[in-house]
Amino acid sequence: MPAASDPPTADSRDATLWRLLRIAWSYRSDCLQLLGLQLVVVFLTVAVIALAGVGIDFVRHCTDRTVPAPSLPFFVPSDASDKAVFVWLGAGILVAALLRAVISYVFGLVSVRFLHGRIVVNLRSQVFAKLQQLSFRFFDSNASGSIINRVTSDAHAIRLFIEGVILQLAIITITLAACSVYMLRTDWRLTLACLSVLPFQIWFAIRFSKKVRPAYEENRDLMDRMVLGFSENVQGIQVVKGFALEPRVMGRFAGWSEDIRLQKRKVFGEIALFWPVIDGLNRLSMAILIGYGGWMVARGEIALGTGLVAFAGLLQQFSAQVTTLAAVVDNAQVSLAGAKRIFEILDTDPGVATEPGAASPGRFLGRVAFENVSFEYQENATVLHELSFIAEPGQRIAIAGATGAGKSALLSLIPRFYDPRSGRVTLDGHDIRALPLPELRRQVGMVFQENFLFSNTIAANIAFGHPDATQERIERAARIAGAHAFIMALPEGYETFLGEGGVNLSGGQRQRIAIARALLLEPTVLLLDDPTSAIDPETEKEIMEAMEAAMVGRTTFIVAHRLSTLRRADQILVLEHGKLVQRGTHEQLMAQDGHYRRAILVQSEGAPA
Amino acid sequence: MSKDRLEIAVRRIRPDEEEPDRLPLRWSTVTRLLAFTSPHRLQRNTLLVLCIFRAMALPGLAWLVGVIINGPVTAGDGPATFRALALFTAFFIVADVALYWRIRLAHQIGENVLRDLRDKLMAHLLTQPLSFFHARRHGSLISRMISDIEAMRNGIQNNFFISFVSLGQMACAAALMLLANPQLFLVLLAIVPCLLLVHGFFRGKILHASRVQQETFSRVTSALAETVQGIRVTQGFAREDTNAGIFTRLVRSLADNVVKTASLTSLYLPLLELNAQGFMAALIGVGGWAALSGTGTSLGDLVTFFFLADLFFSPITIIGTQLSEATLAMAGAERYFRLLDTPPAWTDKPTAGECPPLKGHVEFRDIHFAYIQDRPVLHGISFVAQPGQVIALVGHTGSGKSTIIGLLAKFQLPLTGQVLVDGHDLADIRQETLRRQMGFVFQQNFLFAGTIAENVRSPRPDATDEEIRQAFRDLDCLDLIEDLPAGIHTPCSEKGRGLSMGQQQLVAFARALLANPRILVLDEATSAVDTLTEARLQVALARLMKGRTCFVVAHRLSTIRRADCVIVLDEGRIVERGTHEELLALQGAYAGLHRDFLSSTT
Repeated sequence: MPAASDPPTADSRDATLWRLLRIAWSYRSDCLQLLGLQLVVVFLTVAVIALAGVGIDFVRHCTDRTVPAPSLPFFVPSDASDKAVFVWLGAGILVAALLRAVISYVFGLVSVRFLHGRIVVNLRSQVFAKLQQLSFRFFDSNASGSIINRVTSDAHAIRLFIEGVILQLAIITITLAACSVYMLRTDWRLTLACLSVLPFQIWFAIRFSKKVRPAYEENRDLMDRMVLGFSENVQGIQVVKGFALEPRVMGRFAGWSEDIRLQKRKVFGEIALFWPVIDGLNRLSMAILIGYGGWMVARGEIALGTGLVAFAGLLQQFSAQVTTLAAVVDNAQVSLAGAKRIFEILDTDPGVATEPGAASPGRFLGRVAFENVSFEYQENATVLHELSFIAEPGQRIAIAGATGAGKSALLSLIPRFYDPRSGRVTLDGHDIRALPLPELRRQVGMVFQENFLFSNTIAANIAFGHPDATQERIERAARIAGAHAFIMALPEGYETFLGEGGVNLSGGQRQRIAIARALLLEPTVLLLDDPTSAIDPETEKEIMEAMEAAMVGRTTFIVAHRLSTLRRADQILVLEHGKLVQRGTHEQLMAQDGHYRRAILVQSEGAPA
Repeated sequence: MSKDRLEIAVRRIRPDEEEPDRLPLRWSTVTRLLAFTSPHRLQRNTLLVLCIFRAMALPGLAWLVGVIINGPVTAGDGPATFRALALFTAFFIVADVALYWRIRLAHQIGENVLRDLRDKLMAHLLTQPLSFFHARRHGSLISRMISDIEAMRNGIQNNFFISFVSLGQMACAAALMLLANPQLFLVLLAIVPCLLLVHGFFRGKILHASRVQQETFSRVTSALAETVQGIRVTQGFAREDTNAGIFTRLVRSLADNVVKTASLTSLYLPLLELNAQGFMAALIGVGGWAALSGTGTSLGDLVTFFFLADLFFSPITIIGTQLSEATLAMAGAERYFRLLDTPPAWTDKPTAGECPPLKGHVEFRDIHFAYIQDRPVLHGISFVAQPGQVIALVGHTGSGKSTIIGLLAKFQLPLTGQVLVDGHDLADIRQETLRRQMGFVFQQNFLFAGTIAENVRSPRPDATDEEIRQAFRDLDCLDLIEDLPAGIHTPCSEKGRGLSMGQQQLVAFARALLANPRILVLDEATSAVDTLTEARLQVALARLMKGRTCFVVAHRLSTIRRADCVIVLDEGRIVERGTHEELLALQGAYAGLHRDFLSSTT
C-alpha cells in the first residue's frame, strides 16, 4: 500500500480537509436538522438539573424561612401548597425527561438514516463503481487487501468526518454554550472560576490523541509483520516441516510477538495518563465550585440548589463532553487519512475508457491488426516493441517465446485491458479505441492461465458475461467446452454452487467452465492465454479437445509451448524481449535457423525419438 | 431466470466463518482464561486491590461532596470548608493515581497474556502433522491468531476488571445511600426493576440485530473480495454494471440493518437515562414531600442522593456493554481453546531416537495407509531403493504417489507395515532428525518473504553468501541468478512482481542442495515453463540428484527416462515396476500412460 504509507504533506492535508468541508457543506440542511434536535436535548438536560436545584432550594426555604424562596417555574400554580410544589416539580422533571428521551430517540434515528443510510451507501457504491472501471494498472500496483479496505473502512471516512468531527464539535459547543448561559445568568464570577480548568483539559485531550495515534500506527505495522509471518509459515508449513525449521520459526515468531508487547508497554504510560488527568481536572473544578461557591452561598450571593448543586450537575455534563474532544481529534486524523485514500481512487484516471463519439459498426468479422504497437506497464520498461502483424478472420495465431517475452501483454491489448503507448490495434479496420468498450470486450472471449470462478452456481458462472442467457444457451456453450458431461454428473447439475461452502472442481474442470464462459458470448475473437499451464499432463488432453472445438470459426490467439498446438497454427508469432523476431507457419520457421527451431529442438530432446 | 440467479448470488455469498460470534459466559472458560494471568500474579493482585480501592473511591468522593455542602458550606463555616476541601483534593489525587495504575496494569496484563496466547498457539500448531493443515482453511487459523486473540484481550483487559469496578461502585453507592436515608433508598430500589426490564427487553434484540448486521457486512466484504480478485474476468466480460447493481443492493441492505440496530439502541439508551432522571423526579417529589412531613428526611439527604444517584445508575449501562462484549471474548476464547485442545493426530514414540548418518537405503515393507478410515489409499506397497538410485513414481492423480512420499518423510505414519531407512524403522526415529538428512522440492515451491539468499539459507542458517553462490554454481545456473537486479539478494516475495516460476524452482533446488541430503524427495512441478528455461532446469535437476537416493513424483518424460526404477501406481497398488525401456516393452499400464504423455507434450 505505497500510497497510504506516505506521510501526508501539509498541502495535501489541507486539500483533503477543504474537500471534506465542501462535502459536509453540501449536507448542511441534514446537519442543521440534527443540530436543532440536539439543541432541544441539551436544553432539556439543563432544565432537569435546574428543576432539581429549585427543588432543593424550596426544601431549604421550607425548613429555614430565613432563606428566600426560589422563583418557581411557570407550570407550578401560584396557589399550590408547599407539598404540592414538590409534586409539581417532580412531574416537571419527569415530563422534561420523557421529552428528552423521545427527542434523543428521534435524533438517533435521523442521524443513522442520514449517515449510514445515505452518506455511506452513496460513497461505497461510488467507490465500487469507480473501482470496476479502473485499468489493470491500478490492480497490478495495489494489494487486494488494501483495495478491499478502501471500500469497507475508508468509505466511512466521510461519515466519520461529518459525524465524529463536524457534528460532534457542534454538539460540544452547544452543550458548553447552553451550560454557560445558565451559569452566567446565575453568576459570572463563579462560572469563570469553574471553567478555568477547561482550557487545560482541551489542551491535554488534543495533545493526547496527537501523541498516541502515531504509536498506534507503529503498533499496527508490528502486528502486520507478525500476521504476515504467521500466515506465511502456515502456507509454507510443508517447507517448514520438510527442512525441520520448527525451532527457528518458533523463535522468530516469539520475537515478533514480544516486539508487539514491548512497543505497547511504552504506549501504556501515555494511555493510562489520559483518564486520571481529565478526571482530576474535573474534580479540581468541583473543588473550586464548592470552595468559592460555598463561600458565596454562605454570603447569600447564590442559592444552594439552583446555584451550587445545579452548577455541580452542569459541570458533570460538561466534563462528559470534554472527554469526547480527544475522540474528535482522533476522528479528524483517521477520517483525513481515509478520505485521502478514497479521493485518490475517485480521482484516478480510469486509464482505459470508451472514447467520446465511439460508435458500434454492428457485425464483426474478426480481422485483428497490430500496427507498430509499443507498450509498457511502467514507464521506460518497454514490454512490446513496434509490433505489426495481421490476423485474418478465422485464423489461428500461436504466440511463442520465453517467459517475460511479452506474450500475455500482447493478448491484453486486444480487449483493451491496457492501451498501447504508441501505434494502434484495429478490429475489422476500426481502431479499437474508437469502439464502445463493453461492445469490444463482448467480441473478445478470454481464457486465462488461472481462471477465477465466482462463488455462485455453475450456470451463473457460465452466463457471467450475459446474465439473461437461457439454460439452452448455457448448455450449448458447456457442450462445446466439453463440460456438460461432468456438470450433469454433479448432484445439482448446473445449479451446483461453486467456491467456499460449495463444490470444489479440479483444475481441468475449472478451465472447461472458463472456456464455456468465454464461448457463451459467441466471440469473434478468442484469446487463450496458456490455459493448460497450471494443469497436469493427463488432464491437459481433455482441455486440448475442448479448446480445439472452441477455436472453430473464430480468430484465435493462443499462447502455447506444445508442439502439437504450434503445428496446427496458421501463423506463429515468435517474441523475444518484446520484439517480433520470427513469423510464419511451423514448417516455415523450422526451415529457418532461429530462436524457434532452437527451442523446438531443446524441447524434443526431452521426448523420445 | 436471470433475476433469480442474481438473487442467489446476493444471498449465497457467505461470510468466512459460520460459527457464532458470541457465546454466553461459561465459567470453565472464564477461569481457564483468567489462569493465563497467573504467571503475572503480582501485577494481577495489585490490580485487584486497585480495583477495590477504585470502586470505593468514587462513591466516597461523591459522598464527601454531599457532606461538605451539607456541613460547613450550609453552616457558612469558611475555615472548615477549606479544611474539608483540602481533604477532598488529597483524596481525589490519590484516587486518580490509583486510576492511572489500574489502567496501566490492566493493559500490561492484557498484553502479556496476549503474547503468551500467541506463542502458545504457534508452538502448538508446529507440533501438528501436515494432515492437520491440509484439513483446515488457512484463513481460519489466521482468524484464531488475530481476531479471536484480540477478542480475548478485551475480555481480560477490560470486560473483567471494568465490570468488577462498576459492580463495586454500585454496591458502595447503594450502601452509602442506604446509610444516609433508608426511605429514599427504597424509592431508588423501586426504579431498579424498571431498569432491568428495559435492559432485558432490549439486550436480546440488540444482540440479534447486530449479528444480522455483522453477517451482512461479511457479505459485503466477500462480494468485494471476489470482485477485486476477479476483476480481470469482470472487465473482460464487460459485466461492471451488473456487478455494481448487486453491490449497491448489498450495501443498501447493510445500511438497512445498521439503521435497524441503531433504532434499537437509540431507544434503549434514552430509556436507561430516563430511569436516572425518573429517579431525580421521584427524589424531588417524594423527598421534598417527606422533608416537609418531618419523617427524618433532611435537605442534606437530598443533596447527598443528588450526587450519589449517578454513581449507582451509570455503572448499569457500563456493565451491560461489558457483558455483551464479554460474549464476543467468550466465543473467541472457546474457538481458541478448541484449537489448542486438538491433540496432534500422532507424535513420535517417546522411545524414538536420533536418525543415524544415512547412506540412503530405503525400503517400504507391505505398507497400508488411509487418510480417512475405511478409505484405503495404499494397499501393501513394498519396494527397495538402493543408495544413489533414482525412483520415479508415476500414475494418475490419486493413485498414491504423493502419499508414498509423505510416508517416506514421516509426514504420515503407515497404518500397517514399515518404512526403513538404512534398515532403521522410521517409527523409532524422531521426525526432525530424519528430515535433516532429507531434501525436498515441492510442486508449489513456497518461498518465504525475504531475499533469495535468505530462502536458500533456511536449512542451514550459518551458510555464507559464498556457499549460496556455490550452490547455484553447482546447479550450473549462477548466471541466471546473478542476472537479477540484486543477484542472490533479490527479494523473492510479492506475487507477480517477484521471481518467475522457473527462477522460483531454481531457488528451491538450491535450498534443497544446501541441505546436502542423502535422500531427495521431488514432487515435479506440473506447470510448463518455456522451453529454454526448462532445459536449464533439467540440467540443474540432474546436478541436484547426482549421488543421492531420489524419489520423484514425475510429470516429465525426461525425468522418468533417467530413473533407475519406475514404479507405476494405480489406485494405491504397484502395478508395474522396472526401467522405462522394460516397461514400454511390457505394453501394459505404463505404455498407456506414455502414449497420453506423448500426445499432450509434443
